[in-house]
Amino acid sequence: MTLFSLGLVRGIIGQVIAFLAGMALVVVIRALMGLPAWAAEPAWVVGGLVSIVGFLVGVGALSDWLKWIRGEETPLRHGPPEGKPAWVRYFEVDYNHKVIGVQYTVWGLFLLMTGGFFALAFRTELVQAGIQFLGYDLFNSFIGLHGIVMIAAILLGVGGMANYLVPLMIGAEDMAFPRLNALGFWINVPGTLLILLSLVVGGWDAGWTGYPPLSARGPIGYQLFFLGVYAVGLSSIVGSINLIVTTLRMRSKGMSLFRMPIFVWAVFATSLIQLTATQLIGLSFLMVLVERVLGMGFFDPGVAGPGQQLMEGGGDPLLFQHLFWFYSHPAVYIFILPGLGIISELLPVFARKPLFGYKWIAMSSLAIALVGFLVWAHHMFVSGMNPDLRIPFMFSTLLVAVPTGVKFFSWVGTLWGGKLHFPTPMLFVLGAISVFLIGGLTGPMLATVTTDIPLHDTYFVVGHFHATMFGGFVFPFFAALYYWYPKVTGRMYNETLGKIHFWIMTPAFWVQTLGQMTTGMMGMRRRIADYDPTLGAGNIEAVHLVITLAGFAIALGVVLMVYNFIQSAEVGARAGVNPWRSRSPEWQIPSPVPEHSFPSPLRVVGEPYDYGRPGAYVALGAAGDD
Amino acid sequence: MSAVAAHADVEAHVAEADYQERTRRNRLGLWLFFVSELFMFGGLLVARFYLWRENGEIVRPELDQNLGLIITSILLLSSYFMNRAEVAIAHNDRTNFLVSLLITAALGTVFLVGVVVFEWGAHLRPWDGVFGAVLFGMTGMHALHVLSGIILILNVWWLGTKGHFSAEEHWGVEACAIYWHYVDLIWIFFYPALYLIGRAVPA
Amino acid sequence: MRGHYRTGILVLIALAVLTGIEYVIAVSFPSTALLFLVAIMKAALVLYYFMHVTSLWSEEGGH
Ligand code: HEM
Ligand SMILES: [Cu+2]
Repeated sequence: MTLFSLGLVRGIIGQVIAFLAGMALVVVIRALMGLPAWAAEPAWVVGGLVSIVGFLVGVGALSDWLKWIRGEETPLRHGPPEGKPAWVRYFEVDYNHKVIGVQYTVWGLFLLMTGGFFALAFRTELVQAGIQFLGYDLFNSFIGLHGIVMIAAILLGVGGMANYLVPLMIGAEDMAFPRLNALGFWINVPGTLLILLSLVVGGWDAGWTGYPPLSARGPIGYQLFFLGVYAVGLSSIVGSINLIVTTLRMRSKGMSLFRMPIFVWAVFATSLIQLTATQLIGLSFLMVLVERVLGMGFFDPGVAGPGQQLMEGGGDPLLFQHLFWFYSHPAVYIFILPGLGIISELLPVFARKPLFGYKWIAMSSLAIALVGFLVWAHHMFVSGMNPDLRIPFMFSTLLVAVPTGVKFFSWVGTLWGGKLHFPTPMLFVLGAISVFLIGGLTGPMLATVTTDIPLHDTYFVVGHFHATMFGGFVFPFFAALYYWYPKVTGRMYNETLGKIHFWIMTPAFWVQTLGQMTTGMMGMRRRIADYDPTLGAGNIEAVHLVITLAGFAIALGVVLMVYNFIQSAEVGARAGVNPWRSRSPEWQIPSPVPEHSFPSPLRVVGEPYDYGRPGAYVALGAAGDD
Repeated sequence: MSAVAAHADVEAHVAEADYQERTRRNRLGLWLFFVSELFMFGGLLVARFYLWRENGEIVRPELDQNLGLIITSILLLSSYFMNRAEVAIAHNDRTNFLVSLLITAALGTVFLVGVVVFEWGAHLRPWDGVFGAVLFGMTGMHALHVLSGIILILNVWWLGTKGHFSAEEHWGVEACAIYWHYVDLIWIFFYPALYLIGRAVPA
Repeated sequence: MRGHYRTGILVLIALAVLTGIEYVIAVSFPSTALLFLVAIMKAALVLYYFMHVTSLWSEEGGH
């Protein structure tokens, strides 16, 4: 076995070759057209675009489809690749949803740490006013990279949980479209590599939102950022198609919609958003991309061809904000709905009590997804859009609090009077609720026009969305990692280390998010490298120092977790089939889950969350099944 | 019999019995893809109605009306022949199936030429303000879909000549057909948006 | 010509007529709402007859 036989390596080689080929193509075409042969911007754009395909060809994600074009049959291959060590399949195109789930999760964790690195770098810069070691441009690139890399990490983490768990939870043998599933994961890799590569071509300085006109004029780094986001977005779309079809058509016998584990409902609602809204961020970035390459003046009032009169109004940067937020607000629900589903999934297990108001929780996920489409302009209260629009968007935004409140009530109702146990996953679930509460309560303050006007574009917003994202994704994601780790690896993680991780990270996070809000109210603006040290009666530097220290503590916690997982995979105690005494299907089969998850078709014979009551939820195989 | 062979056997059996179920999944998946893309095309329409305005009044650039009507009719006609191909294969009428596919691809190509050569070759350029930007954005994105549709049709035609597809099993044809109709569907909205709606102003 | 091609032809004719109507509306009394209405009618025909949208939920048509 050589290094080159590893799919990932072949993919990267393919990406580099295709990149160069794409650039060469542009040079040739330009030369043929009699233009100066080298133009950096088109060359990088076409190269970047082709490089995504190059990666996919190299890694082999397209091989089966290329055979379909010739009408060849391609039976699904099961099991680890022949003649290679078993771990190799995690670096190859593999069609088993459990492998793909792990691939998503690991790449997501890698991105989480990369994004964290950027954050620590610019947090350190912010400890003192003035510029110490990051220049303005690098600082700006780092905040943008932090944002978008974290978003990619979240999308991958969501994809990891959904891919691994949904088929197991509904008793399906695999996802509906295994090849598409593999593509959905692998296209993330060239995408995120392009995003990181943007640093070497000048970075990009507008933050993750990439608003024109700034993004229409900055360095070439923007283009790679756009292309990378496009690839990651495609992954969201094909992934959501797969999950919706799997959920609708592949449930086992007796698993009616209202008997599905609640996490599946959450993923279903998430997939509906991903399916539709993602197109709009893709489109808005694509429009800026062509505006830069071809001078198409969608967003620039000033672009007019030779002899062309400016139309009244002309291009309009506000249009970008509408298109962009039409995705990016619903996107925040993509980040949190699966996490909230995890909370609802784990609470009954550790409270040994039925989930309070199952149907309401299921419906509230759908409601959040739908209402989420009607609120985007709350990001634009001070953008200069028609002021009359602010009121309806304020009310629709406040409406989101209703289904979110339903979830909170259900969690409290589930905890109430339960026999509580507190292993690490449960701690993280409770941490998630505490943190999400902070984020949720600050949302309405920002949704109210009068309070948003002074708070917009300050660190208060930064504090708000970190609390929502940590409470809605990071904490539940970590809970899920600890909870399903024994199922994935067959071994138990180290409980002490897990608890230490929790007790470092949770207080540190509270300090960080409340600190961010504090600096915001002192007048600290978002996305600036330097600030006035006299803000907050001269206290602002001290607060920044505390936030930065808290940030480092969180990073320490994450490193502890990763160490715990790597270490326990070798030395952890055998976990057994069902260490948490869960009723869910995946806990009725061996750990780690065998290649073909279920030995025989699953049958649903009871309710999913009847903890403390007699009778099971599912039965494995039985007479009468064919 | 070895375990592997037994497994392959079972799988072959399951595959046959499941053709219907797999087709249902495929169909749902393809339609979900349409729904997804609808949002992208919808975004382009939003851009068109947002940007092509003067003092709040909807406007449009003066485009060649004859050209618009001709390419629209051609695409409609191609949609008919695509449908004909699908009906033909469902009734095992192979000659008609293959011929209709070729006609569809040919008409699609004429449409493409109409857009890329004649519409794009007329006076507007992509960098000509919002008129150029939106016109090229919308027709360009649509043309990409037409192009991929033509390639798909030719692929299906080629497989058809090699004896693939039957009256009972022709998901490949159906997928190609509904994709082509979908491309037509988009144009049904793009045509009035680009050529008919709003007051024409000289571009 | 065999009977099963007839539906397609009828739909084609209907679509052609609607396109003509569209054009006439645009030339003689331009109305955005009316034009959209015609477009929606055309779209409905295509969705129903050409794309068999009902096969998504009907239990037949597994081919
Ligand atoms: C109760 C529900 C929520 C309300 C009412 C709400 C409201 C708002 C408002 C009005 C803003 C704009 C602030 C400004 O820029 O002036 C905002 C920003 C933001 N919110 Fe929320 N929010 C809620 C929940 C969430 C959740 C659950 C998440 C995500 C997980 C989230 C993530 C964000 C992000 C990322 C931003 C900042 C975007 C940016 O400008 O970069 N919010 N929120
Ligand atoms: Cu929002």
